[in-house]
Amino acid sequence: MKKVIIGNHAVSYGVKLARTEVIAAYPITPQTQVVEELSEMCASGDLKARFIKVESEHSAMAACIGASATGARAFTATSSQGLALMHELLHWAGGGRLPIVMVDVNRAMAPGWNVWTDQNDSLSQRDTGWIQLYCETNQEVLDTTIQAFKLAEAVDIPVMVVLDAFFLSHTSEPVDIPDQADVDAFLPKRVARQKLDVDEPHAFGALTTPAVYMEMRLRQQEGMAQAHDAMIAIDAEWGGRFGRSYGPIESYRTEGADLVLVTSGTITSTARYVINQLRDDGQKVGLVKVKMFRPFPTADLRRALGGVKDVAVLDRNISPGHCGIFAEETRAALYDLPDAKRPRVHGYIVGLGGRDVTPDTIMDCIAKARAAAKSAEPEPEDVWVGVKA
Amino acid sequence: MPDDQDRKDFAHGVPTISVSQGSTLANRTGSWKCIQPVYQDRIAPCNAACPVGIDIEGVMNLMRLDRVEDARELLLRENPMPSVCGRVCDHACQRACSRALFDEAVNIHAVERMLGDRTAQPRMSAPPRTRTEHVAVVGSGPAGLACAYHLVRLGYSVTVFEADPEPGGWLRYGVPEYRLPRAVLVREIEFIRAEGVAIQCGVRIGGNLPWKDLERFDAVFLASGARAREGFEWQEQGLLDVRPGVDYLHEVRAGGRGHAGRRVIVVGGSDMAVDCARTALRLGSEPTVLFTAAREEMAADPDTVEEALREGVRFEFFTRVVGLQVSEHPEDEQAIDAIRNMFDSGESAAPGARLVGVACVRLQPEQQAADGSRRTLSVPGSSFVLPADTLLTAPGGEGEEGALPPDLHRRGYILKTDEFGHTSREGFFAGGDLAAEPRTVAHALGSGKRAAIGIDRWLRTRAGDAVPAIEPQALRYGGTGAMSVTRWRGDDPVHRTNELNEVVKFEQLNMAYFQHVAGTPDHHRAPGQSGADFGEANLGLAPDEALAEAKRCFNCGVCNDCELCLIYCPDVAIKRHSSGHGFSLSYKYCKGCGLCVEECPRGAMIMTREGL
Repeated sequence: MKKVIIGNHAVSYGVKLARTEVIAAYPITPQTQVVEELSEMCASGDLKARFIKVESEHSAMAACIGASATGARAFTATSSQGLALMHELLHWAGGGRLPIVMVDVNRAMAPGWNVWTDQNDSLSQRDTGWIQLYCETNQEVLDTTIQAFKLAEAVDIPVMVVLDAFFLSHTSEPVDIPDQADVDAFLPKRVARQKLDVDEPHAFGALTTPAVYMEMRLRQQEGMAQAHDAMIAIDAEWGGRFGRSYGPIESYRTEGADLVLVTSGTITSTARYVINQLRDDGQKVGLVKVKMFRPFPTADLRRALGGVKDVAVLDRNISPGHCGIFAEETRAALYDLPDAKRPRVHGYIVGLGGRDVTPDTIMDCIAKARAAAKSAEPEPEDVWVGVKA
Repeated sequence: MPDDQDRKDFAHGVPTISVSQGSTLANRTGSWKCIQPVYQDRIAPCNAACPVGIDIEGVMNLMRLDRVEDARELLLRENPMPSVCGRVCDHACQRACSRALFDEAVNIHAVERMLGDRTAQPRMSAPPRTRTEHVAVVGSGPAGLACAYHLVRLGYSVTVFEADPEPGGWLRYGVPEYRLPRAVLVREIEFIRAEGVAIQCGVRIGGNLPWKDLERFDAVFLASGARAREGFEWQEQGLLDVRPGVDYLHEVRAGGRGHAGRRVIVVGGSDMAVDCARTALRLGSEPTVLFTAAREEMAADPDTVEEALREGVRFEFFTRVVGLQVSEHPEDEQAIDAIRNMFDSGESAAPGARLVGVACVRLQPEQQAADGSRRTLSVPGSSFVLPADTLLTAPGGEGEEGALPPDLHRRGYILKTDEFGHTSREGFFAGGDLAAEPRTVAHALGSGKRAAIGIDRWLRTRAGDAVPAIEPQALRYGGTGAMSVTRWRGDDPVHRTNELNEVVKFEQLNMAYFQHVAGTPDHHRAPGQSGADFGEANLGLAPDEALAEAKRCFNCGVCNDCELCLIYCPDVAIKRHSSGHGFSLSYKYCKGCGLCVEECPRGAMIMTREGL
């Protein structure tokens, strides 16, 4: 059934179709509508879940951890400062291998107080042991939310589904909402491999000495490696059932390209428009959309970008004192390619704090990359585009 | 912990996380505590406030579980007349209801009425006679009937003697039909008869049956009532048009017309005053109630005052009678009197002076004098005259009962009794209006039950049989409420955990777990219909509405297995009890954090140092 819905409600429908059992959340703009809709679904009985109202995001995640540890399918949603407040608990969920699904609506960090889109909130949680999946459309948001549960439960790693504030969260698009029976066939009830059992009690998250801690982390790392392959398999199964799949990355019109843009989130849609125009002009430019940020799709990027002359990464984020985070990671991924296949990676900082990234902005980035490609001197790691003089 | 075993597990899909290898049962967290929780049921405020002594909370809890028939049985353990009480009791329970401090009190009396009304058939067989003694009950009002009912259920043979032609006492001859339809009363009296109570009407003790004849009974319960007739100075003028309200109500209830004329003035603030006015209204009169203070200070049930106002009864508050206007009986009214007397079966009105008006003054609200006394001052120049054909006095105060043996000790009009209603004469017990105030149907029912317990106790002691070792205070809900015959019998069907006979306070409840739910008030006949005839004015609630009201009950002070303690216990030290009722607490693991006590919505747990 197709419905015209905002991105936040696409999340809500996904969580409902996934037959989530426990929802714990605290409201924050621009996420609030996600859990508002879910609370109404719970109140009406459409969704048979326990909705736990909490006094902070820290508690929301704590409640999800508790619920997930007992074997329940748990969900929360947050944004920006709320996500930052959860930080400690994100490690507990990741290290505890709890398949929680969380939606983060990308919003800039304060100060200055800003509710508009920016990736610094989610990227600040890069190292907490969560899978991160960035979405481009409301349809992708719904599909990814349901897939996220299957992925999380396949590898016992929590998944963060990320969407842009307002450009997706508050913008209506037609979304195909799958039938419950079809989703049930895709995503059966969770069967926990390990869970809290009052009849056979054990301490979870107990003291772990140097003799064994490192191995525990290694298992987590192996789990992340599995997550990459699992994501491809699950996404392919989804595609077979519902006709839509996304992959960890997507190459768009990269055939014979000498310059390839790397984007994530809704900037991708604008970039597709620019690429189409330039291709019409005969320019050899292409696009790679990065959906999966953790685990980082190193091998996929090497395949997609190896042999390309120049790569321009557009970052709606900044690691202060260094550069854009997607650019930084892309550079690192490609560095070990043989010299002949290693592209030059140009990093552009755009659209912070919700500033519009228009086709002109992207054209500007491309022009800068073309100019830098002609120079023998390396470009600065971070070139800011669309900044007032 | 990660080792070779875990590597193997990982191959089977179990990731490595930090989980203790040993069971945490080894960690006896209970050793940390210096204070511990205890399940302790307490008493709901409604139970303690009920003059009948009903386990209201228990009834409501069974209703919550949709066990409506069990709820009725629990109610009938303590109150033989729920249909009557649900109509005429002034429901002190609802004034005590904790819910009133949250949104609105539970409409308890409507629930009671529904439970009383739902069965048309008495129980199949009377309770067995297990005692050889025979008890006489004098008077078949609510006190007498209650005492008889509880005594037969305790195994005794009981005979009730009633002076009037029909049983019911004040319920039959005092409470008007529109408040208590006769069919409702008759049905409940029939149920009491079906329990094995013998009722002989037309027998006046000290009249056609001498007092001496009661001596053949093993015990006697006196509940012949006290109809208030005094307390109004203007009666002394000997005018026939100035009459006690009690006589007026009695006459109408017995089938007469009351012949009070058009303009009826009722003086007083009691239920009887309101009943007189509403009765007069239904007989075509234009009643006015005079009361010396504000509406809120009337002793009458505020609901019935509201109903009277809706029907068109006039009230004059802060008003006092200061004189009567009388005219010599004019010639032309003699003919009217003659016609009036043709329709009235009663005695003919005597010739002589007739009332034509009542002189009144307005009063100022009471002032506190310097010496602490309260004095009422009239408003200067406020006197006025109300035209009147009849003045009815309904003080609701003192009463009389002339036909009692003189050796019974009294305090004023009230017989002196002990805490079980035992009078100064051995084997003679008393209740109802004879023995105590306030004079309400509910108090009468409670006093009858109290005497039934007292008689059982006294007869058992006399016979040398086992007597329950329970203090009078322990029989009373909350130590000060009415007595429970279930407590006396010790056969409570309700599971109780470590019950403390103390009323739980609103502050001891946790409102976080309750949502505001508006109460459902009683239905009434339309104002146009109500007041026109003697059809029932208050229609109560439909069964489903009453059930919904019952489900608003907080179950104050009593564990109703909500499981919040179990959910919150961080040590998983709480489990459902194997009996299916309540919970068991493992003190080996309870570390005394007190979360369970804090979260308990109904104050059914406490923290204590005792036992540590």
